Amino acid sequence: MAAAMELRCWGGDWGLPSVHTESLIVLVPLSHVCKNTAIASTAVPELLCGETAVQEPTHILNFLRKQRFNADYELTARQGADTMAYIALLEEKLRPALLHTFWVDAENYTNLTRPWFASRSPFPLNFLVPSHHANTALSRILLTKGEAPLHRISEVEGKIYSDAKECLNLLSYRLGTADYFFGNSPTSLDAFVFGFVAPLHKARLPSGPLQSHLRLLDNLTRFCDTVLSVYFSPSPPVQETVDANLQKLTQLVNKESNLIEKVLLPSFPLLCMSLLYLAGSVSY
Amino acid sequence: MLLTAAEPWPENATLYQPLTEDQILLSDCASSLAVQAYLRMCGLPVQVVSRANAEYMSPSGKIPFIHVGNQVVSELGPIVQFTKAKGHSLSDGLDDVQRAEMKAYMELVNNMLLTAELYIQWCDDATAAEISRPRYSSPYSWPLSNILAYQKQWEVRRKMNAIGWGGKTLEQVYEDVSQCCQALSQRLGTQPYFFNKQPTELDALVFGHLFTILTTRLTNSELAERIKSYSNLLSFCKRIEQTYFEDKSS
Repeated sequence: MAAAMELRCWGGDWGLPSVHTESLIVLVPLSHVCKNTAIASTAVPELLCGETAVQEPTHILNFLRKQRFNADYELTARQGADTMAYIALLEEKLRPALLHTFWVDAENYTNLTRPWFASRSPFPLNFLVPSHHANTALSRILLTKGEAPLHRISEVEGKIYSDAKECLNLLSYRLGTADYFFGNSPTSLDAFVFGFVAPLHKARLPSGPLQSHLRLLDNLTRFCDTVLSVYFSPSPPVQETVDANLQKLTQLVNKESNLIEKVLLPSFPLLCMSLLYLAGSVSY
Repeated sequence: MLLTAAEPWPENATLYQPLTEDQILLSDCASSLAVQAYLRMCGLPVQVVSRANAEYMSPSGKIPFIHVGNQVVSELGPIVQFTKAKGHSLSDGLDDVQRAEMKAYMELVNNMLLTAELYIQWCDDATAAEISRPRYSSPYSWPLSNILAYQKQWEVRRKMNAIGWGGKTLEQVYEDVSQCCQALSQRLGTQPYFFNKQPTELDALVFGHLFTILTTRLTNSELAERIKSYSNLLSFCKRIEQTYFEDKSS
């Protein structure tokens, strides 16, 4: 079960473990198991476990669920349905504006996004990767939001930003004063919201009307900071971690399986990282 | 829109959609039925008119659109806002969290059900060749019919590729529809409507899509079978049909 897993994703900056939304979504359950690999294909993030390679956040989360690392174990059926609905809301309403902010807005693209992705890509891909992403982003926005007579980005900008602001407001209402969206522990919905909202919260954008709007929603920014501090704070010394985890495992061997799952999920990333350190296959 | 807020809803409001018998496709029929259900739930009278060029008359290129007074509004979202500006709304009684949930579920239906309908119509070769292309181009003569049909197919396939559905198989799409229906079924539970006693625009949207899928003949009935496995969704559709559409049931 604790087979070594390797996650290939875009690297981090601005206080985040990764600047790429899809990579962030899967990093929350797999924190610390990350190898910075810049690939020109759109197959990032990619989880490699033994001989299996899984791509895309939803498939990776399903894979983890089958490996019995399930953050949604305690959700009711209705909460599971709510999760699907909110993820659809994020995809439809927030993603176009995020794509626009990072990849289409000229100021942000030339001053922040393109230099960052170009610097993380090897020659000669550094010329191709950012522009490929930018073109994909622009065509996605125009195809999904641009209406037939209006094939210019300026005419859809107003609509996608107002949709995104509404989406952020709705998330804020739903979160309320709680730490996470469902109860006291994070679920896959929290991972998705974190993946979408964290880059917007932390990036040093030259031009960011959406970012200013997000800053007004205290509970969402607090949510991002909570997830960052719980899952992505600097890790404790490796040896202590290995001993602590081995102790926990031996204590729990005779208990019921759901209790094992509850402990393994938070300690799995640390266990995995320590296994990889010992195997000498991780480099930062 | 704000300028006409003071005007009452006129008697001659019209809803335009493609020709019902020969031309209209599954996704357009579903969207149109959703708008009709919503307007009936609000108690706003509207005449349904079929035109071969409805898609081109629409300000956004999407079906359906309504012509009210001197305003033309298309698609359910803007139509809901338009009626709200006129003082008719189904979701006023909801609090902020419920409204957030309602919007999220509406996006789920758009993201999953509508996209699946478009996929099945235009990306599945059998359905496209037997049903979609002939129906879409039926008002036009050759060669315009061929050109328009293939152009539409190309547009939809581009969009599917852009959102990541291009690589899906038909089986995966049916699975996605099942998951969406499961989520809707779990959310509905044993209640009469999604937000208990009163219907909202979400009920209209879900009804429009599910009822159309159940009553439309496609190349195979897999899609309808997937929905039929959720009995509370079936009774939900029947209830809305009987409550709001019984004067036109045959």
